[in-house]
Amino acid sequence: MNANPQLDNTLIALADPTRRAILARLTQGEARVTELAAPFAISLNSVSKHIRMLERADLVVRRRAGREHLLTLNPAPLDAAQAWIETHRALWTQRLDALDAIFEAQDKDSSR
Amino acid sequence: MTTRTVTVTRRFNVTPEQLFDAFLDPAIAGRFMFATPTGEMVRVDIEAKVGGAYTFVDRRDGEDIEHVGQILELDRPHRLTFQFAVPKYDPTNTTVRLDITADGIGSVLTLTHEGVDDAYLEQTGKGWAMILENAVQVVG
Repeated sequence: MNANPQLDNTLIALADPTRRAILARLTQGEARVTELAAPFAISLNSVSKHIRMLERADLVVRRRAGREHLLTLNPAPLDAAQAWIETHRALWTQRLDALDAIFEAQDKDSSR
Repeated sequence: MTTRTVTVTRRFNVTPEQLFDAFLDPAIAGRFMFATPTGEMVRVDIEAKVGGAYTFVDRRDGEDIEHVGQILELDRPHRLTFQFAVPKYDPTNTTVRLDITADGIGSVLTLTHEGVDDAYLEQTGKGWAMILENAVQVVG
């Protein structure tokens, strides 16, 4: 198992309902920080903190247009999270295949 | 709260006891558990009891890669749970649980490998669609 700080950032970013809601909003397209903050009963400041965590995880990309900060979703790291799961599934499948082969070989030996 | 969970189910043509014992017998476990095609399993120690430690050392390109952990549950032949880490790559302990049931003349193994860090994603394994679905519900 490789250390994977990128994946850790992704998973930590996804672990919070507010951040998942922000991402869900961004799947509908680019949005201003104030637009993203509007549905939440928390301060603009704490929404900004959530956005910074999403940026650190590369899930959100910020671009400045004059005075406005526009945010877009970057789905690439999500594929990495999925990759962790798929990698481990493949590893265990491979190990259990190997075990099955050992049993098959033993079976042949004993019936010889 | 569990996270980063992978589940694999598989049937074997051996009894639950034979299947269970394969994971604790160094001669067998060393051939399938953490062995790699190009590596050489140079040492396997398994202290087969609750609280017992195990070590698998796989030599890959002259470098020894240790897989270490501790046995948390041992209920032959139904359940074996152990912690698992590869300190060289990642000090985080993850947990692997084996559930074995008899199935005719064979056995069915359900293996569950999960991360233990609460900070991690809750819905792992269910995919991104599910995460977004939940998020939409949160937004209302």
